[in-house]
Amino acid sequence: MKTMLRYPLAVAALVAGASFNVLAGLPAGQVDFGKFTPPGDGGQFVEIQINSNLLSLAAQVVEKQQPEAAKLLHGVQLVHVNVVGLTDENRAEMTKRVRQIRHDLDAQGWDHNVVVQGKDGQDVGIYTKTRGGEALAGLAITVIDAKDQVVLINIVGDIRPEQVAALGEKLDIKPLKDIGAALKDTASKDAAPKEETPKEAAPEN
Amino acid sequence: MNPTSPPPATRRSARRLWLWGLLATPLLLLLLVGAGVASFFYLGSDARALRNGLMKSSGVEWRQRIALNAGRLTLGAVRAGLSCARLDPGARAAVQSVRSAEVGVYQLASGTPSPDRVAMLAAADSAMTIRGWERVVGVMDGHDLVAVYLPEKNISAHYLKCCVLVLDGKEMVLVSVQGNPEPLLKYAFDQAGLDAQARSLAQR
Repeated sequence: MKTMLRYPLAVAALVAGASFNVLAGLPAGQVDFGKFTPPGDGGQFVEIQINSNLLSLAAQVVEKQQPEAAKLLHGVQLVHVNVVGLTDENRAEMTKRVRQIRHDLDAQGWDHNVVVQGKDGQDVGIYTKTRGGEALAGLAITVIDAKDQVVLINIVGDIRPEQVAALGEKLDIKPLKDIGAALKDTASKDAAPKEETPKEAAPEN
Repeated sequence: MNPTSPPPATRRSARRLWLWGLLATPLLLLLLVGAGVASFFYLGSDARALRNGLMKSSGVEWRQRIALNAGRLTLGAVRAGLSCARLDPGARAAVQSVRSAEVGVYQLASGTPSPDRVAMLAAADSAMTIRGWERVVGVMDGHDLVAVYLPEKNISAHYLKCCVLVLDGKEMVLVSVQGNPEPLLKYAFDQAGLDAQARSLAQR
């Protein structure tokens, strides 16, 4: 009986050890959103993963012409974008999954910077992870657009929310450009007097 | 008796060897030329693995329309041949950048149902990951599927390998390119107003 128990326990310990190593291997600002299954009936699905190799190549390419852009790109280690179209079949599951990701980010000590809940069912959450209290280690953006899609963005490296649009332009990634523009809008509306703010913006509990 | 002259049997066998050599050389040359010509119509191992994975997982029948493979030697000869020719700067930059290129075009047989794109992407991922590639872009929209693969290691502004898959519902195109992207990128950045154009497009 003892022998029978010993093997599963040894395997479980090995698996747990391996999982811990995998988790421990993630850089501080990286989020594992998990695997997403594309919606079956022709729905939209976009997955972009640009790692440091390609980012460094992009930085090398623009270094002479656009040194500022190169500096921005050099500061980034990974750009991960997921866009999953919502259908009647996956809407509930995807929404639940994004809320779970937000919950996990809160639990892992990410700073919950901005939450925008629009009237059209748009729900945007922006999270940042700092390194040593000063430099930014990562940025995570979650968007639930109840009608259309779910967007998840993770940028690992020293980049601020207001630089997302610029990064999207340099890498020509439309979801980054869109989210960056939305963030700029939010920032400018927050800066404006309150009576001029048309959108409801309240932190999520 | 002359001690240096070989016996008649040895002389005869040497002559036979020469004869066989003379007969075999053109045959070997013909075989080499045949293999060289055939290689123009076969995809390389990475593109072939990607194609096989995609076709197997799609659950439908595909017909090959074309498969072309231009290697370093061919494109080197093209580059040398075109070095004196007057070319559009963009075309010259492209010729200078590409070191080898493979293209495969496949079509669904008429009346075939839509392929399983989700399974195709998963199969393409596993076929390429085993071979040291990673998917940097994957897009599915309607009947379309686009995937871009790059090697996990060894890429720089002077050397880049790239594998692209485009499926528009009925036709599948596989492109695998290897080369030095620098001349093409330099040309792109030298174009006056390109950056501004890109910005205005990005604003749309």
